[in-house]
Amino acid sequence: MLDFLIYLLTVVGIYGMVSLSLSFQFGRTGLVNFGQVAFFMVGAYFSSIATAILGLPVGLGFIIAIIAGGLLGALMALPIGDLRQDYWAIATLAAAELIRIVFLNVNLGSDYVGAAYGITNIPGPFREYFTTTTYGYFYLGLVAVCVVAAFLILSWVGRTPYGRLLKGIRESDEVARALGKDVRVARIHALSIGGAVAGAAGSLYAHFVGFIDPQFFMPIETFLIWAMIIMGGPGNPVGALVGTLVVQVIYNSTRFIQFASEYASTMAALRMVLIGVLILLVILYLPQGLVPERRRRYGARPSGKGSANTGGGHAA
Amino acid sequence: MLLKVDGITRHFGGLVALQDVMLTAAEGEITGLIGPNGSGKTTLVNIISGFLKPTSGSVIFDGTPIEGLEPHRIAQRGLCRTFQITLNPQRMTVMENMLLGAPRQRGETILQAILHPGTVHREEAANLERAWDLLEMVKLAGHADEYAGSLSGGQKKLLALAQVLMAQPRLILLDEPVAGVNPRLIDDIVDVIKLLRQQGQSFLVIEHNMGVIRALCDTVCVLDMGRVLAEGPVEAVLAREDVLRAYIAAGGQLEDEPASQTDLSTG
Repeated sequence: MLDFLIYLLTVVGIYGMVSLSLSFQFGRTGLVNFGQVAFFMVGAYFSSIATAILGLPVGLGFIIAIIAGGLLGALMALPIGDLRQDYWAIATLAAAELIRIVFLNVNLGSDYVGAAYGITNIPGPFREYFTTTTYGYFYLGLVAVCVVAAFLILSWVGRTPYGRLLKGIRESDEVARALGKDVRVARIHALSIGGAVAGAAGSLYAHFVGFIDPQFFMPIETFLIWAMIIMGGPGNPVGALVGTLVVQVIYNSTRFIQFASEYASTMAALRMVLIGVLILLVILYLPQGLVPERRRRYGARPSGKGSANTGGGHAA
Repeated sequence: MLLKVDGITRHFGGLVALQDVMLTAAEGEITGLIGPNGSGKTTLVNIISGFLKPTSGSVIFDGTPIEGLEPHRIAQRGLCRTFQITLNPQRMTVMENMLLGAPRQRGETILQAILHPGTVHREEAANLERAWDLLEMVKLAGHADEYAGSLSGGQKKLLALAQVLMAQPRLILLDEPVAGVNPRLIDDIVDVIKLLRQQGQSFLVIEHNMGVIRALCDTVCVLDMGRVLAEGPVEAVLAREDVLRAYIAAGGQLEDEPASQTDLSTG
């Protein structure tokens, strides 16, 4: 039971990073990214290729994954930076499938590596210092550090003038353009920042499970991430983490339903039904998600002019 | 001349939306742009501000041609526009809207925000100061933390005006600054624009409300069916019979009926 809890929390952490990344792209910037899994996949593959095939250290693989995710974001946004959001949805969905199909068809190094065989024996960082059980704790700690870092970085970016500009673009790119903002560049950067975070998550995932193949990165994964952030509240990074927890708990809950093994596939399908129903309820009754967006308050003008009303201040 | 629109023609497929349009706006003045619905005003504003490309002709701003430039490049040169109500950032607070308007912010590039936190902090403080000044001018200082979406129609127009002022433009294109606004607030908006003109701000104003055009504008340009029907001093132009006829033919109204008629069309 404890092992399972550790496993669950690790998965929540890894997917939490992917949710944070999508929350930044969609909730903050308004980019309808239906290809989020591609960044996760590229992170996982680049990190695995670097370590399992090329024999580089895991830390380096992790950094390569971050860079690869960021570059993919910029590359994906480059041709579509000026397009409307519905085109973004189609373009990113297609790009993600393209990348998956490339990995499905390309052997990496030798005949039985890459393509549909996937990559096996992906090393875990510092594996030799731990037993199987204690390594679970260690990896959870590692993931926790990464989630917290991603959360702090994205929250900080949200508070900069750049973060405000992204919000302005989300609300109306015409107004941002009319005020002299280069919307295209800001969007490219936003997809790149989000891509880097999702790439890091992909690397953590690959070294956690030790084996990856293209089947892990179907479009359904992207929509699960969307379910997480819609449920949690797209405008708030805390919401992304809460949504991830809820969806992952439901998704993994069937392990405990052992009394009806002949209905296993029905149960598996019912999980998705339950997630769907929950999303409907959230949209109907909590349109801003479980954790709504917070507004930054400036209060009243700090003294100097007329009234000495200085209440409020700069509480974020 | 601060702005010179020279022979602009724009086709949409077979439709000629604008035909050889000439228009000038002088520095320090308020120029009006009027015309019945469908006369091409919005198309012209979209072309001047870069949101549409002209089929032919040129737009000269401050001595350099700007037609075909991206909207943000035109705005950076000091020619900024406002939009109709619904476009303004709704789920951002009034103050966030104001700070968004500030021009050339280093912190708006992520790399700069990382490398120069001190500069960004100083810029923010200065922009905040200016934003409070402008909000006090448009009487919105008490609403700084409210979402722009929760303001009344007239307050939204005032916010859009204050926001565009943050950008410190040389010429402001106001797209129907009083359409759909409660008559009492119309006077507030007119007063603010007059005050800004006294301080030397130049405007190009599109408006259906003739009372507002008379109260504000130095010169006015009348568009009808994509052509310039008349251009010149306000009273002289508005007294012309062909201008009157164009409005009556389009079901419009030349008398000072406050906003009631435009209320219907803009909600």
